[in-house]
Amino acid sequence: MCKYGVAVVIIAFLLYHSLYFEKLQKIKEQQRRGTFSAAEYARDFWDNHLFTVLDKAVDVKELIELFNTNMAEAVRRYGRTPGVSRVYAYLLQGEGKILTAGEEGLEVSVRQPQMNPDIFIATGPYIPGNAVRDASGLIDVSEFSDTMKFNEISGEINKIVVKEVIGPFLDKNPQMGMTVRFFGATQVAQDATEKHPFGHLVSDTGEVREIQLVRVVPITLELK
Amino acid sequence: MVKKLVTLLILALAMPLFICGCKQKKQAAADGQEAQGKGKIAVVISTLNNPWFVVLGNTAKERAEELGYEAVIFDSQNDTAKESDHFENIIAGGYAAILFNPTDADGSIANVRRAKAANIPTFCIDREINANDVAVTQILSDNYAGCVELGQYFVKKMNGKGQYVELLGILGDNNTWNRSKGFHSVVDNYPELKMVAEQTAEFDRTKAMEVLESILQAHPDIDAVFCGNDAMAMGAYQALVAAGKADRVMVFGFDGAKDVIDSIRDGKIVATGMQFPKKMARMAAEQADDYVNGKRDFPQKVPVAVELVTQENIAKYTAYGRQSEE
Repeated sequence: MCKYGVAVVIIAFLLYHSLYFEKLQKIKEQQRRGTFSAAEYARDFWDNHLFTVLDKAVDVKELIELFNTNMAEAVRRYGRTPGVSRVYAYLLQGEGKILTAGEEGLEVSVRQPQMNPDIFIATGPYIPGNAVRDASGLIDVSEFSDTMKFNEISGEINKIVVKEVIGPFLDKNPQMGMTVRFFGATQVAQDATEKHPFGHLVSDTGEVREIQLVRVVPITLELK
Repeated sequence: MVKKLVTLLILALAMPLFICGCKQKKQAAADGQEAQGKGKIAVVISTLNNPWFVVLGNTAKERAEELGYEAVIFDSQNDTAKESDHFENIIAGGYAAILFNPTDADGSIANVRRAKAANIPTFCIDREINANDVAVTQILSDNYAGCVELGQYFVKKMNGKGQYVELLGILGDNNTWNRSKGFHSVVDNYPELKMVAEQTAEFDRTKAMEVLESILQAHPDIDAVFCGNDAMAMGAYQALVAAGKADRVMVFGFDGAKDVIDSIRDGKIVATGMQFPKKMARMAAEQADDYVNGKRDFPQKVPVAVELVTQENIAKYTAYGRQSEE
């Protein structure tokens, strides 16, 4: 009887160590990734390449003016897209007065009179989308054997923004009335101004019309 | 004499028909030469058991024909073995180009490689292959970015909290994961949004209905279902109707298929991501024509943006595209 018990234990031991279960998704993921590391790629992009193109960032006031008056020209001069899209990414820079500072970001006025907001600078705990990757114009989707890698890079860039740009900035305790200077990226659809213009517009009677804000993902943020 | 007259009459009546017949034959021969002159284009589609892919295939075929080619559609039925057989026949058949919607991002590479070795250029549409040195170009929906936008709308509609189910597409297709990851890159930042089940329904309407019916047994109190395509969204909606929950569970799809666009208009489905199958298919056919005419400089991957379609902006959209582009 004891012999059978030992045999069962040995067989169970051998079976346990000869079979190995792993999720199919995990296996496919590992095969797909190969040696590629989106985090390393994003790190190199941030440290060695992105800041070399910030001199191409357009002034935020000029960009808002173009969005509202000649979107096609804004696209032609400053817009970038990795493929076929009605949404274009832009590198932009400028400074303005903080009007509100909330959990998700800052409402900032960049045009006189600095009473109503023009832009929203994202300072929330996560940043979605591809604004920084696409606005830089430095990463070509055709370099990648699968587009998931291209997309993972965006996720990693956004993590750097949260950790290394937004975190230290919030530590300085930005307040209403302070002046903020920034470089950043935004994505705007070609037909975005169909309903409402960007930024505050004050009519002759002093009435402020309905508007939308340019949403900026920051690349640098500093208080003046 | 009467016989002669009757014979002459018959000949007189038959002559115009004969001449006409000859003309038609000559025209047909000329048309044949024209088609033969530009060659044949193969349109290989992953499955025709989904209206979205039928539109993709038919549009590619129609555009190729408009450009002067004879075009033939091959249905791979989501089976890489069938797809491989199609490629063998296409290579043997001396086609000028292949407009290709692959069944598997990895499994389809070998087929494209064989076509390339036989000097037949391949143009991928919608679905990607995990190689950037075998197809001439790959025109792909930007699924990840589309689902980032869809995810943001999902969070807004759910007010950042609730229980939901995700129905995945075919596990070997990159589109499945690009969509899922784009969605989760947003939604996972909201800890009060709980995904209670994530299962594949392989982009299939019937399977989606069965899978969700089963999930509802274990999780009757879900608030939303995110589906990796519109066929699954319709299947999920059917399951919810059968369970009497269609009014309080929100369904989100992805594709821009006719039945989902109609359902968004009717307030049954909440939102979808509009891909542009007609635009992508036309682009692929036109690029194949450019290639045949000598052009060689193509970007390897061309992401085509996906647009969020909701009950608020449905007026701008029609099935498979924008109103303004129809």
